[in-house]
Amino acid sequence: MQDFYKTHYKKLLFIPLIIAIPLLFIVFVFPGLQQGIDLRGGNVLIIHFDKEVSAKEVESIVEAELGIPVTVSAINSPTSHGVYIEYDKDKKALDAEILIEKARLLLADANLTSADLEAKEKESIAFSIQAIKLLSGEDKNFDNAKAALNDAQSSLSIFNENTSNKLKIVLVDKLNLGENAEFQHRNVSATFGEAAFGSGITIAFSAAISLLIIIFIFFRQFVPVVGIICAMIFDVLMAMTGMVILGIPLSLLTISALLMVVASSVDTNIMLTSKVIKEKGSTPSSRAFSALKTGLTMSSTTLSALIAMLLISFLFQIDVVFQIAAILLFGLLGDLIATWLMNASLLVWFTEKMVRK
Amino acid sequence: MNFFDKLMKNWQYALVILFVIISLLSLGLYGINYGIDFNGGTLFQVELQEKVSNEEMARLVNVISARIDPNGFGTPPSPVGGKYILIQTEETDSVALEKIETRIRQQGKFESNLDGNIIFTGDEIRKVLRSDRSFGVFKAGTSYEWSLPFVLNEKASISFMESTFHKCTTTGTAPNGLPIYTCEKTVFFLDRPTALIITTQEQYDKDSALLLEGNKFSNIPQETQIEELIEDSMLTLIVLDANTFDKESIKAHLALTPNVVVSPDVSTSIKQDLNSIGFNVTTSEIKEGIPWIWTALGTKQIISLTEGITNEDVPEDQKDRAKIFSTLRITGQRATIQEAQSDLEELAVLLESGSLPTPVKNISKETISASLGKSFLDNIVFMGILALLIIGIVIYLRYRNLMLTIPIFATILAETLILVGILSLPFLRQPFDLAAFAGLIAALGSGVNAEIVIVDELMNKTKRETLSLLQRVKDGLFIITTSAITMIGVMGPIVLLSKSMPGLSGLYGFALVAILGAIIGVLITRPAFTKIVETIIEKKEKQ
Repeated sequence: MQDFYKTHYKKLLFIPLIIAIPLLFIVFVFPGLQQGIDLRGGNVLIIHFDKEVSAKEVESIVEAELGIPVTVSAINSPTSHGVYIEYDKDKKALDAEILIEKARLLLADANLTSADLEAKEKESIAFSIQAIKLLSGEDKNFDNAKAALNDAQSSLSIFNENTSNKLKIVLVDKLNLGENAEFQHRNVSATFGEAAFGSGITIAFSAAISLLIIIFIFFRQFVPVVGIICAMIFDVLMAMTGMVILGIPLSLLTISALLMVVASSVDTNIMLTSKVIKEKGSTPSSRAFSALKTGLTMSSTTLSALIAMLLISFLFQIDVVFQIAAILLFGLLGDLIATWLMNASLLVWFTEKMVRK
Repeated sequence: MNFFDKLMKNWQYALVILFVIISLLSLGLYGINYGIDFNGGTLFQVELQEKVSNEEMARLVNVISARIDPNGFGTPPSPVGGKYILIQTEETDSVALEKIETRIRQQGKFESNLDGNIIFTGDEIRKVLRSDRSFGVFKAGTSYEWSLPFVLNEKASISFMESTFHKCTTTGTAPNGLPIYTCEKTVFFLDRPTALIITTQEQYDKDSALLLEGNKFSNIPQETQIEELIEDSMLTLIVLDANTFDKESIKAHLALTPNVVVSPDVSTSIKQDLNSIGFNVTTSEIKEGIPWIWTALGTKQIISLTEGITNEDVPEDQKDRAKIFSTLRITGQRATIQEAQSDLEELAVLLESGSLPTPVKNISKETISASLGKSFLDNIVFMGILALLIIGIVIYLRYRNLMLTIPIFATILAETLILVGILSLPFLRQPFDLAAFAGLIAALGSGVNAEIVIVDELMNKTKRETLSLLQRVKDGLFIITTSAITMIGVMGPIVLLSKSMPGLSGLYGFALVAILGAIIGVLITRPAFTKIVETIIEKKEKQ
């Protein structure tokens, strides 16, 4: 076994590269990684309760109630049950938002000294009244533009809150959930989602740059740095594939899980790289093998912690933790392939070449 | 050598013990601050219409904070960049959330009242003329005068003229021959409740005295009469006689409003009685040094009229000739420029609170019910313990040596304890939520990896033949330090950017805990662990 890397490294090097091609296809082409609610806007209602229901049943109830398409997934574990309902904004709310925005802009534009102040205020009031009518069905009259706008905006909050509330009540009633149902509700506006997505990209990019700089400062050699970066990319790719397979969307939470994948891949790759290229004494391949032993110990402790996380979060439906653990598990699988097949072989080849020179 | 000398000689151990003690103290004194994930609650992410300046943002945050949490009990709203505001509340009830959302959007219901009538409202203020030349603080002799011009809409200008006409009276003649006037005062309210106000005789007397005394810091002028304040509030005040009340007479008020605001000293049995009649009872708290009634009514300022705007020069019977002012100016005098500045700003915020066409574009929110949060916490603690146990078993199976397994386990426990302890320190007060928990997993995962590296590096058979213990320690430390620094490099951008970029608030706790974990590991726990492994090896080699 000691000579594992000595005899096979050139073949081992290519395995991850071949695997990467279908993974890239899965993540970026088809079926593709989905964006979660917090990055594209919309509503999520998660309900936890104590009886089993089917996703289909929930879907038909919600669609009949809201009249808009929804995505429902049911989670059933031996101890608890729940549904995860994703739906976009109600059409009425969207239309009202546009009207309110028009009313607001007219007021913001109105110049105190301009002659058309009155006309603009009147127009603004008309938009606000229209929005209120749309949201609550009430015909209201205002002579003050600001009061009208405020009223329209509070109608909108009430409308939004009522929509999710109505949904809760209907579900509890139709599914006979009783009093033990627990709710978790998230409502993200589309523009906020867009901005959050931008932030996500920025941090991923900055993290990548600072990572590159730090690794280069520590190892100062081109090939090992490229090896570490490639291994990390592979790990993240593998984790993303896992997300596609399990239907976990890209969200701020899963971005943090992907960063954890990067962090754990840093641990193994830095250990491997510094052992193979920095240590003296035995041959590169035997040093790589000794790193493999340490690395497998690391991975097995990580794996055992992940199993505990997966088990508990599945049983008690803490979807946040479940998603993190599942992503880390795939990342770990990627790490085993990328670090111990690709990067170790690359480093053995590189160090031997350097020695021969 | 006794135990203490040994400890002091090995600074590595002393450091760990010191930090464990600090953490235990901090946890004992301050406790863990669970976030909304575990306590239940709602997180609002408010998106503003456009990017605003820092001062404007500070003003908005103040206004919103005053609106949704007048007593200042909760976490204050925090700005993110120039365009977003983050608000956390413990509230999960949908009706209450709707109210908060409306309040965030509308900012404030401002009223200026005189003689028990509303003379103008925030909706009727067109604009505070912040860019006008008369806006600001000016030197006036030895003191400073601040001046705040604002514009009323047409309807309000007329009603202002009507209600202030001849509200000043001559009380004497100045040495230069001009008459001296004493004018009536208008009271400014923000979010004046629509409620019946009930208090005890004791509180009423206390408030009455405090009002007469005045309070410079809360803009309460001296000689303020409690009766006038109540008249201007247009609300009914009931003073309880010996803490009892007549049910029948109070019932009559139910037709006007179902809300009651009571002072804290009103007895529970009375509150229960009021509830049973059908009132919604809220207790308004007392703020140190401020009359209870002042806060309960939503009073903000008392501003005296001046003879310049009350049309004193127009004869009493010729009201139709009175001038209508649409631009009004409030002025005040202060001894220092700072005081004048803060008075001006406070009042400007107040006038704008209902007058700005609201700059809020969208509100996103996330709600977790309290019992759900509690069950999350229980399960996660259980999960953590289970994960630690399994890790312990795996490590024992790998090394088959309890002398190594126990220190590894103890180091993980110390890292966890120190991390959680540091998070609870008052200057950090980082909530321990699901994100922080994820950060803890990342930190501990990395910690276990580091300990395995140290053990393998120091114990490696082939290396032991060729390299000194010192060299092996160096190799091991290089690896774990590089890992830790890389972890900091990966998570650093999140910590740095989360205060200025939207949507990252949830990741801040995660990245912060991961970074703290890396720092604590490299500086505190892992040196001690290395020392333990060194001692074990030295003992072995001696044998």
